[in-house]
Amino acid sequence: MKEKIEQIKKQALAEIIEATSVEIAEELRIKYLGRKSDFTNILKSLKDLTGEERKTVGQLANTVKAEIESAFTQKEKELKEKSFDFAAEKIDVTIPAKKMKRGHLHPLTKIQNELEDIFTSMGFEVADGPEVETEFYNFDALNMPKNHPARDMQDTFWLKGLHANERVAMRTQTSAVQVRYMEKHVPPYRIIVPGRIFRNEATDSTHEHTFHQFEALVVDKNINVGNFKFIAQEFFSRFFKKDVKVRLRPSYFPFTEPSFEFDISCTMCGGKGCSGCKNAGWLEIGGAGMVNQFVFESAGYKRNEYQGFAWGFGIERLAMMKYKINDIRLFHSGDVRFTSQF
Amino acid sequence: MKYSYNWLKELSGSKKSAEEIAEEITMHSFEVEEIEKDELKLDGVVVGEILEIEKHPNADKLQVTKVNIGKEVLQIVCGAHNISIGDKVPVATIGTTLPGDFKIKEAEIRSVKSFGMLCALDELGLGADHSGIFLLDKNVEIGTPLVDVLSEKDKTLEIKILPDRAHDAMSHVGMAREIAALEGNIIDYDFDGLILPRKKTNRLSVEIKDPEICSRYIGVVMTDVEIKDSPEWMKERLETCGIRPINNVVDATNLVMLEIGQPLHAFDFEQISENEKTKIVIRKAQSEEKIILLDESEKQLSSEDIVISNEKEILALAGVMGGLHSGISNKTRAIVLEAATFNATSVRKTRTSLNMVTEAALRFEKEIDPNLAEKAIVRLIEILEHTANGELEGIVDLYPKPVSPWTVELDLNYLNNLLGMEVPSSKCSRILESLDIKVKIKKNILIAKIPTYRIDLKTQENLIEEIGRVYGYENILAKSPLVNLSGATVNENRKFARDIKDLLASIGFNEVYNYSFYSYAEANVAGLDSIKHLELEAPMTADHAILRTSLIPGILKNVRDNIKNYKEFNIFEIGRIYFPSLQDALPEEKSILVGAIVTEKKGAKEEKIDKRHGSVFFEAKSHVDYLLEQIGINDRYYDTFEGSSIETPSLWHQSRSAEIKIEGSQESIGFVGEINPFVLEEFDINNRVAIFEFDMEKLCAIAEAEREFTPIRKHPVVIRDISLIASGNVRVDDILMVIQKAGGDLVLDVDMFDAIDFADSTTSFAFHVILGASERTLNGKEIDDVMNLITSKLESELELKMRR
Repeated sequence: MKEKIEQIKKQALAEIIEATSVEIAEELRIKYLGRKSDFTNILKSLKDLTGEERKTVGQLANTVKAEIESAFTQKEKELKEKSFDFAAEKIDVTIPAKKMKRGHLHPLTKIQNELEDIFTSMGFEVADGPEVETEFYNFDALNMPKNHPARDMQDTFWLKGLHANERVAMRTQTSAVQVRYMEKHVPPYRIIVPGRIFRNEATDSTHEHTFHQFEALVVDKNINVGNFKFIAQEFFSRFFKKDVKVRLRPSYFPFTEPSFEFDISCTMCGGKGCSGCKNAGWLEIGGAGMVNQFVFESAGYKRNEYQGFAWGFGIERLAMMKYKINDIRLFHSGDVRFTSQF
Repeated sequence: MKYSYNWLKELSGSKKSAEEIAEEITMHSFEVEEIEKDELKLDGVVVGEILEIEKHPNADKLQVTKVNIGKEVLQIVCGAHNISIGDKVPVATIGTTLPGDFKIKEAEIRSVKSFGMLCALDELGLGADHSGIFLLDKNVEIGTPLVDVLSEKDKTLEIKILPDRAHDAMSHVGMAREIAALEGNIIDYDFDGLILPRKKTNRLSVEIKDPEICSRYIGVVMTDVEIKDSPEWMKERLETCGIRPINNVVDATNLVMLEIGQPLHAFDFEQISENEKTKIVIRKAQSEEKIILLDESEKQLSSEDIVISNEKEILALAGVMGGLHSGISNKTRAIVLEAATFNATSVRKTRTSLNMVTEAALRFEKEIDPNLAEKAIVRLIEILEHTANGELEGIVDLYPKPVSPWTVELDLNYLNNLLGMEVPSSKCSRILESLDIKVKIKKNILIAKIPTYRIDLKTQENLIEEIGRVYGYENILAKSPLVNLSGATVNENRKFARDIKDLLASIGFNEVYNYSFYSYAEANVAGLDSIKHLELEAPMTADHAILRTSLIPGILKNVRDNIKNYKEFNIFEIGRIYFPSLQDALPEEKSILVGAIVTEKKGAKEEKIDKRHGSVFFEAKSHVDYLLEQIGINDRYYDTFEGSSIETPSLWHQSRSAEIKIEGSQESIGFVGEINPFVLEEFDINNRVAIFEFDMEKLCAIAEAEREFTPIRKHPVVIRDISLIASGNVRVDDILMVIQKAGGDLVLDVDMFDAIDFADSTTSFAFHVILGASERTLNGKEIDDVMNLITSKLESELELKMRR
């Protein structure tokens, strides 16, 4: 019986190797392992054998069966792979794929996000205020009473009055949020106020009546000019991803004293002088200063109880510098050819 | 303001170049905007020394010279006779191009060769003088380019004066004081010596009607005045500062204004007097009074304007400009000089309402020290005695409330603490003293006596600024503040807006920014005319006259503009809209999201087939679904738009718009729909446009509340299909509601997977109903019972028939 099994194995394996199609292989499987095959008959007759013999023959039969089956599986796999027509499935992988619709954030949003990320990482809170503001918060509280010449520096969009006792205007500066915030919070605090502001000015490639500012305000007992320099340097170095120096020049704002214009070392030449900075080595960025004690008083604080600095600059200007945009009016053009570049 | 470099140098005693001074001032005082450079193009013109002069052999009027220009000796033929041997003269060498495009070439003049030209002033473009060769100083070096020799010529510095310093720094004395202080010096100018002489006249009287409008008025009568041209030096100074010389009297008033900062005026005594006497009245104009000004323009005045008048007529618009009639003419013999202090606000109002910019008004409107009037008039008299041989007859000075110096106390610890640097107290004193401020220090308190012309110095912070800027802000070291480490409070609304923007950008939307304003016409076209809009008081153009109450008109404009370049695109904006408030001064502001999906219009047939998923409405709806699911708002539903809760029904396509609501609530959280084709037509848009609109604050609040975890289901779900034929009135949502209600908790979800419209306006629908229970596996009977209930409810509640 053992010989017979060995012989079936030999014959089966030989024939399996020769099989040329999946169908032939299937026929062979029936022939060798089917219900009526010799091999099955042998297995059936095992019960007639004695215990010891049954054990050895049985074991052999099982190994052989497994061997033949695995030969089939392998052969079938081999035959299937051979019979698949890959050529018919051929595609030109160089054909351009279907375009996914790409969306884009507005460049000012991108800059604003960057600014917010840097400042929030330094523990600043992002504060908001209304875009239509009362005369009090936009001007009076900031030491710009009626007829103050500094009001002339900011041509204002006044709104036709609905309420006789309080004039309202499109806010001319994000500083309008300062006293609002001060009234509701107790120092120490550090906030940023990004936002849209309005000036009643004729527009051209460098002037807009609607633009965006970014205001930072830090108030505590001992905040000083050196702290402002540090934070400004830290911010611009992170924003431009290189070492940036800050330079202060005297300036005047009614709501700060002392007041500064601040320049940063040219981001292209590092201060040596190039066409970008008109050989000055410095770029004018914005205004800043130590919060005027009058402003604290407007918010109901005692004079000289707190110190702080405030600074602001135009987001458009930063975007124009960063992306080399030559016309400020593009920001409000709604032109997809513009926004889709960012 | 334009400053003369030479004048500043003379007053300040500085030895620095214009460029060095500009740098210093810019860093410590004011921004120097420009140094006007010599515009002379004199390349090739050098200094030469005349070695020989001979008569021209063939021409009587010409001479032949030998001129040493350093490198060589040139033979030059010359027509002028004002030269002699040893003179230093400008020589235009061969190849030079002189002003007027005059090229110097080698020439032969009556058989004598000439290798260049000796130049007169006009030939160099330096003036009109052609009387002879321009003779240079004998000390200049031979061969020096002429430009270098002429650089001694005055230069104009254009300096931007900060508004709080206009009252002292818009003058050469003020600016020189700055320059001296920056070099640690004190200017040598006898300010205190300018004291009004006590000399009376009965030919002039002055009345100030209202002390509010004029705090001081000094009138001076001078006689025997000779009107003529001013001396050259004075003309040059004025021209350098951008002022046109007129005659010696007017020029002197301008010169003193430039020197001290006090505007002055001169009247012709004869023109303003009657019977050899005049009375000057300072008063407010009566409305509709008129005056013809020096620039010959006629102005109609209002009761806000201050005027100088006599008993008959208006003589001048106070602080702005004099009248034509009362001005100085060639025939003038006696004059009245005016040095006054007018109310800054009034002058500013007058100037702006008449849209005039004059040197006088620019100074008055920033408020000036009344004590300057005295200094200026004394200086003016002094000059006119010299340049016009005038004789002082007498003075009237009305100064009811004299201003005296005041003191400011500065805590030096505070100074160091605010600047973040230590400034030695001796240094503080020295800086203030160089600015003409008298200082005493008691312990740590500095007591400063402020001269009256420094109106801006009132608080200790003002003094800190003076000390800080002169000492130099560059000395302040950057230093991190000591702050508490508590993290920043997150601004939820802002973060939410950012998430929404990122989401929309990631699915193909381009962000746009539009103005907060639009026109009445746009509001009308967009069907917003029934809404009350806030109006600008003085809009620049009618296009931007009112505050938007919707982002949609702006978005539709963007759509119109972009279809020129793109056939299909998606855009969005998050921005504020503004509604007038009845109670509050401030309007109600809302932050709104609007998105637009623009697709090409298809043929009529295709449009009909696309009534369902192919239409732009459903494209918008799928975007809205995606957006809301991403922010965790899952139990929303779309309600047919009935026009009730939308404020602007005519903006939307009546039969293709929906309100988005949260289950269990009738309140809209937003809208999605196509735009009314008639509105699109008004905007010249021939594409299909679908819009979605959300109130960001509402959306943020719901998204916050919605975010909640549902446990993951452990038991299997069963899907059963139903199909039915519904009449045209039945909405898919109605069917879904009935299925949900009938099936209760066991219906987990219902998906429509087929819909076919029939000619009789009925529709065949097919749905997958997904059933399951959270705590067990449903058995066959349970499932059958639920399905039976659902079908019977559908048939009894809606106009439809089940297909079995």
